[in-house]
Amino acid sequence: MTAAAAGAPRVVGFVCDWAVATAELTDEAGRLRAHPSVVLIRVPCSGFIRPSWLEDALRAGADGVFVVGCPYGDCLNREGNYLMQERLEQLQRRLQRRKVEPERLAMLAHGLHDREAFLADVADLLAALGRLRPPAAAPTRAATPARASAEEGGS
Amino acid sequence: MYRRYLTALQRWTLGLDVWINRIYPSDLNPLYYTGGLTNLFLFVLVLSGIFIFFYYVPSLNGAHASVAYLTEQVPYGGLIRGIHRYAADAFIVAALLHLFRNWFTDRYLFARDSPWISGMFLLLFGGFVGVTGYILVWDERALVVFSEFVRLMRSIPLVGDRFAWVLQAGPGISDETLPRMLLLHVGPASALYVLLWWHYVRLRHPKVWPPATWVLTSLGIVTVLAAVVPAVSGTPAQPGLQPRTMWLDVFYLLPLWLAGYLPPLLVVAGIGLLFIAGFAIPYVNREDPQAMGVRHAGVAQVVDGNCTGCELCYYDCPYNAIVMVPSPYPGATRAAANRKLLAVVIDSRCVECGICIGACPFEALELPAFMEGDLQRRVAEAVRA
Repeated sequence: MTAAAAGAPRVVGFVCDWAVATAELTDEAGRLRAHPSVVLIRVPCSGFIRPSWLEDALRAGADGVFVVGCPYGDCLNREGNYLMQERLEQLQRRLQRRKVEPERLAMLAHGLHDREAFLADVADLLAALGRLRPPAAAPTRAATPARASAEEGGS
Repeated sequence: MYRRYLTALQRWTLGLDVWINRIYPSDLNPLYYTGGLTNLFLFVLVLSGIFIFFYYVPSLNGAHASVAYLTEQVPYGGLIRGIHRYAADAFIVAALLHLFRNWFTDRYLFARDSPWISGMFLLLFGGFVGVTGYILVWDERALVVFSEFVRLMRSIPLVGDRFAWVLQAGPGISDETLPRMLLLHVGPASALYVLLWWHYVRLRHPKVWPPATWVLTSLGIVTVLAAVVPAVSGTPAQPGLQPRTMWLDVFYLLPLWLAGYLPPLLVVAGIGLLFIAGFAIPYVNREDPQAMGVRHAGVAQVVDGNCTGCELCYYDCPYNAIVMVPSPYPGATRAAANRKLLAVVIDSRCVECGICIGACPFEALELPAFMEGDLQRRVAEAVRA
C-alpha cells in the first residue's frame, strides 16, 4: 500500500447484494480500487446489518463505516433500507453521547448501476472523515484505539 | 437465454430509475409505487362506479339512454363517467407496469411467488372487468366487442358454447344479457379485493398507497382528462345492424382486434398460453439459485438461548415469516427462563434477506451463510490491513 493510502481514513462499507454492483470496483479482498483504504463487505440486504457491528467496526479502529442500500422506495425487500436508515440514525445519536461524530457513520442508497454516484459519495465521505481527524493525530494508528478505549471507559 | 434477456431488461429498468431519480427524489419515483397507484385507481373506480351504478339501467332499450342521461343531465355525471373511464385505463397501465417492473427486478423469487400468482389472477379479473365495462355502455362499439367476445368463446372446443350461453344469459342477445354483463362487471370487480387480500397476506407493511403527491397528481390528471376529453358513447347498439364507423381501442382490446385477422381459437389459445407462461414465471430457473446469480444465505435461524421474546424481529420481518409462540419450556439461559414468547421462523416464507438479524439486539438470530463471527473477522482484517 502506498504511503498516501496508509494515511487515508480506514473505512468499512457494507453493501447490499441488490444495491450498487461493486465486482468491477474492488479487488478480491473487497478493497476499492479507487480508494484502497475502503473495504467493502457484501451482505444480503442493508437491513441485515446489526447496528452493533458498525459500532464494533469503529471500536476496532475503523475511522468510518457506511452501509449501502437500494434507493429509498426500491428495496427488494421493501423496507430494508428504511429500517437500516432508522437504525443508523439511532446509532448516530447514541454514539454522539460518547463523542463519536455522526459523520463517521453514513447510510448511502444506490441502485445496481449507480456506480459513479456511489464512488462520488464515498469520496465525499472520505473527505469529511479527513476533516474530522485532528491533523496531528492522523498518521499514527495508535491514535484511533486510544479514542476507542476512551469511549469504553465512559460506557 | 431467458436469463440473459431478463438481465438486459433489469439493466434498462434500473437505468430508467437512475434517470427518473435525477428528476424526483428517489422516494417519490412513481415507478416505485406502481402497485400503490394501481390500488389507488381501483379505489377511484369503485367510488365512481358506485355513483354510476345508481343511474345505470341494464336493459337493451334503457342502457344507452341511461348512460346518456347520466352524462348530460346529472350534475357532474359526465365528469364522473369520464373519471371512471380514464381511471380504468390508468389502472391497467399501472398494473402492467407493476407486473413488468417486478418481473424484471426479480421480485418474485422464493416465497414471493404467492403475490405473483395472485397478481396474475388480479390481471385476469381486471382485464375481464374492463371488457364487460365496455359492453355495458351498449353503443355500436359495445356490440362489436360483445359479439367478438362471444365468437372467441364459441371457438373453444367442447365448452365454448356453454361459456357463450353464460355470457349472453341465453342462446343469443336478449333482455337478460345486460343484467348478466352488469353482474360480470361488478362481481369480478368485487372479487379483486378478495384477491388483493391474497396479494398482501404475506407482506408486513405493504406499500398500498403511493405518496400523497402522487395520489393528488393521479387524481388531478384523471379529473382534468375527464373534463377536457369527456367520455362519450357511440350511436346506440342495434343488434342485427352492421356498425358503420367505429373507433376501437387497440391498446385495451388488442385480442379482439387480432381476432379480425386470425382464427379465433388461435387468439384464445394465445391468451391462455400467455397466462400459463405468466403463472410459470416464478418457477422457471427456480432449481438453481447459483445460476440465477442469487446468493443462498440460508433460512434465518433462531438461537434459542438468546431469544428474549421481545418481538422486534416479528415487527420488522417484511414477509411475516416470523411468528411469536409461547415460550415452550423453562430455558437453560437467563433470557430463555424469563421470556414469555419465543420467535419461530417459518421456513417456507423466509426469503433469506436477514432483516431480522439487523432487528435483533440480542444476537438471537443468524443467517447460516453470514455468521456474525465471519463478518467481525472480515471487519477486523479490513481495519488491520
